[in-house]
Amino acid sequence: MAHLLEVRDLKKHFAGRLGLFAGSAKKTVRAVDGVSFTVDQGETLGLVGESGCGKSTLVKTLLYLEVPTSGEVYFDGQRLTEKEAMRLRRRAQIVFQDPYTSLPPRMRVGDIIADPLLIHRLADRRSVRERVNQLLEDVGLQPETADQYPHQLSGGMRQRVGIARALSVQPALVVADEAVSALDASVQSQILNLFKDLQGHLDLTYIFVSHDLGVAKYMSHRIAVMYLGEIVELAATEELYAHPLNPYTRALLSAIPSIHRDGRERIRLEGEPPDPANPPPGCKFHPRCPIAQKICAQEAPQLKEWLPGRYVACHFALDSDPAARGGLVSGA
Amino acid sequence: MTDLATAGISPEAVAASAPARTHILRQLLKRRTFVIGAAGLTIIVLIALAAPFLAPHDPMTQDLGKGLAPPFWAKGGSLDHPLGTDTLGRDVASRLMYGARNSLVIALFAVLIASVLGLVAGLSAGFSRGWWDPLLMRFGDVQLAFPFILLAIAILGVISDRSAVHLILVLGIPTWILYARVVRSRVLAERDKDYVLGAKSIGASRMRQMWRYILPSVWSAVLVIAMLDFGFVILLEATLSFLGFGLTPPTPSWGSILAEGKRNMIISPWLAVLPGLAIMLTVLAINMTADGAADVLDPKLKISVFRRTPLKKPANATWTDLEGRAAASTRSQPVATKDEMGPPTLLEVSDLSVEFPLPDKVVKAVRHVSFDVHRGRTLGIVGESGSGKSVSAFSIIQLIEPPGRVTSGEVLFEGRDLTRISNYDMAQLRGIKIGMIFQNPASSLNPVLSIGSQMVETIRLHLKVSPAEARDIGSQALLNVGIGNPQAILSRYPFQLSGGMNQRVMIAMAMLTRPDLLIADEPSSALDVTTQAVVLERLREITREHQTSLILITHDIALVAEFADEILVMYAGQVCEVGPVRSVIDDARHPYTRALLQSVPRAEIESGKRLQAIPGEPPDPAELPPGCPFADRCVSVMGICRQVNPSQVRVRPHHDVACHLWSSDKDEEKV
Repeated sequence: MAHLLEVRDLKKHFAGRLGLFAGSAKKTVRAVDGVSFTVDQGETLGLVGESGCGKSTLVKTLLYLEVPTSGEVYFDGQRLTEKEAMRLRRRAQIVFQDPYTSLPPRMRVGDIIADPLLIHRLADRRSVRERVNQLLEDVGLQPETADQYPHQLSGGMRQRVGIARALSVQPALVVADEAVSALDASVQSQILNLFKDLQGHLDLTYIFVSHDLGVAKYMSHRIAVMYLGEIVELAATEELYAHPLNPYTRALLSAIPSIHRDGRERIRLEGEPPDPANPPPGCKFHPRCPIAQKICAQEAPQLKEWLPGRYVACHFALDSDPAARGGLVSGA
Repeated sequence: MTDLATAGISPEAVAASAPARTHILRQLLKRRTFVIGAAGLTIIVLIALAAPFLAPHDPMTQDLGKGLAPPFWAKGGSLDHPLGTDTLGRDVASRLMYGARNSLVIALFAVLIASVLGLVAGLSAGFSRGWWDPLLMRFGDVQLAFPFILLAIAILGVISDRSAVHLILVLGIPTWILYARVVRSRVLAERDKDYVLGAKSIGASRMRQMWRYILPSVWSAVLVIAMLDFGFVILLEATLSFLGFGLTPPTPSWGSILAEGKRNMIISPWLAVLPGLAIMLTVLAINMTADGAADVLDPKLKISVFRRTPLKKPANATWTDLEGRAAASTRSQPVATKDEMGPPTLLEVSDLSVEFPLPDKVVKAVRHVSFDVHRGRTLGIVGESGSGKSVSAFSIIQLIEPPGRVTSGEVLFEGRDLTRISNYDMAQLRGIKIGMIFQNPASSLNPVLSIGSQMVETIRLHLKVSPAEARDIGSQALLNVGIGNPQAILSRYPFQLSGGMNQRVMIAMAMLTRPDLLIADEPSSALDVTTQAVVLERLREITREHQTSLILITHDIALVAEFADEILVMYAGQVCEVGPVRSVIDDARHPYTRALLQSVPRAEIESGKRLQAIPGEPPDPAELPPGCPFADRCVSVMGICRQVNPSQVRVRPHHDVACHLWSSDKDEEKV
């Protein structure tokens, strides 16, 4: 079966700022450094990682909001180029993190939602109002909201407007870039459920970017974990949370505060995430890794399928941590 | 951190509290500078427009017999020539009126040309990421380096018959750069905002992004510059006329009348004074209009208006009033942990209320909040933004900036009421007995001083030690928060360190004075998950070691569950539930606490289960309902909930809940 989206060896490098004076070193930040994955119709792929790991750049690059440095993106089996970005804009949409900055401050909500329809000539001036009202209803807003400005709405309502705008062109893929992390707890769950309901009704495919592992777990069928511009583990959600195979994933999961003190041991990572402009050689995680060996400093592990459907970039994915191995065997 | 931010009131919300764009005129009319300026300008414009009807004489008719007649109030003046005549016997009043016509028309069109040119240039320069921007801006720099008046004189000098069009072009075209620069910088600020990326993502062309999305955010700046430029151009036009490069005589203009007046300064001083006065009043009126309008049109200035009105403590309520209320509240509220077992109470907050008066409403950020902090224990305050959690904590150390003010309550710390002690005494406690840690460590540290010099300064402020000794103490303090190579860190600057490292430095610095109480406001929210855990564990270890009490403010109930001893759940400025962490988490009684525990997606719950979302949104803190603020969103809402705000009842040892579900006798629970 053809995948809805296929990303092959995607790279996005940012040239460091050239200094005012000659001699200041030019550094390249490899924000996304060779990422490959696929997303199938109707599924949700969660993309998790700490800030600066490149997850946000990755989704912006695959949507051609940023021009990739290299790599290929296939949508509906067809390779995308920058020139075809317009076609992509009808099929793939994005919902941004900050509902306070992602809506144009001086446009009315109705105009914000109508604009994509007018750009892609999906509605004429007369039918557009009707369509806008329908979209507002779909995301749980009153039709009167159309006449308001974003600053008159609460954060949750703004995020609903952002979702309505994304849905207006009836896209196949919606990328949610930390779409709920700026919202308060009580509003966050409403928006998450809205995303879920819309997926059911409209057969949407999601890429759900989040630094919050709880949110990612709730939303995603499969999860990709990123560290310094690379995917280090990719697996079905339940399996990843139950038996993480990459030591970084394990540390990340153990760091989440829990409302139940279940006595689990927290894995303490030494040091801080390295400077992305100057990553360590070999496996980028090795200076902080509790199980690092000699080879880790020399050779970068490739992302490969260690178990069916379980992709891990680690030299010791299966034979490293006794706890993980035990977990796999017992299945508990 | 601004005070409005601690109150959970975003600048956006403040902007939103002001009427929408349709009411800009109403707002403008509230500003005295604008009203006076606009009125003056209107009168001048009306006079200029009505010049053919008002002027007593033709401005160009000469009458050599009547040269240099004085104005009517002076000796020898007559009402036939109310403002006198010039050397050629022309009526000065008429010439001033017609001169106003010329000046205003020239300035108006010059400003129009300049603003349109500047707007287009600024937009395109700011939006281009290629060669166009530097080219345009360097051209502007070159032009600015050339004296403008000289350029104008050079051009106008070669034209023998100068008409208004010539002046408009010469005054208009070169000023484009004033607009272009401001527009460009505004565009640069706007274009990287998500909403422009959003426009791109829906397929908007570059032109559409520029005109439909960015332009509305920058036009107000153009309007303000245009108004200021208007006055400037009038001055320039007068200058050129004065120098003899304005409209070709005998066409009247203020500058040429002034020039003529200069020649006859001794005999008829009014001839110079009157046009000068006209120029001055016009420019003054224009500038006042522009200033008044800038306040309204530029939203950034709007917020600074609030900061200017400092409000000294004590608040305007009288002391007897306060004490009466405090006493009443202690009687009605069963918060009496002192008599029960447990460590001694370090801090006792009772009936604390904080308000933020905004221009058109009052935000009740904290309402009658009471809680205790025990020695060596950690109290976690949980709530959403705007719940009053930060304001409650910061009012303990009286760090509520105007216009916010404590309107009632008592904060007893070591037997003293912090709401009533002098600012000097408060400063002695702050940072010494009571330490603070903020969300963003990088902005709390001084960016231009190394970590070492900041620590040495803090240490020597409190201890009489030499710089070298202070450095040793500092290095030990860094070791205590788990920094392995303190000497290296001491010589670094905050921007060279990661967020987690900076936050550990902040903790080390806050702990230098061995405070009795540490207030940490979202200390880990800006940090990554893996760093967050390390920082919080350090914080817990070091506070336990020194028997320091900790107030941990966070939106994450799981964080509190793991790191605090007691938990205080706040909603809409009130306490919902307070008690020992395990008791509250495992047996939450308030529907809000329960909903909060159920609605947040967690990594440990199985997927596939649907989240129990809380419907609706928190109430507007300026328009709180009379009953329970959570009633509208509550699954267990009863009739009484909408009428009576529940007070706290004890449900288990040390565990209090403000909810009607648990009050034994609902009829007695009156506020």
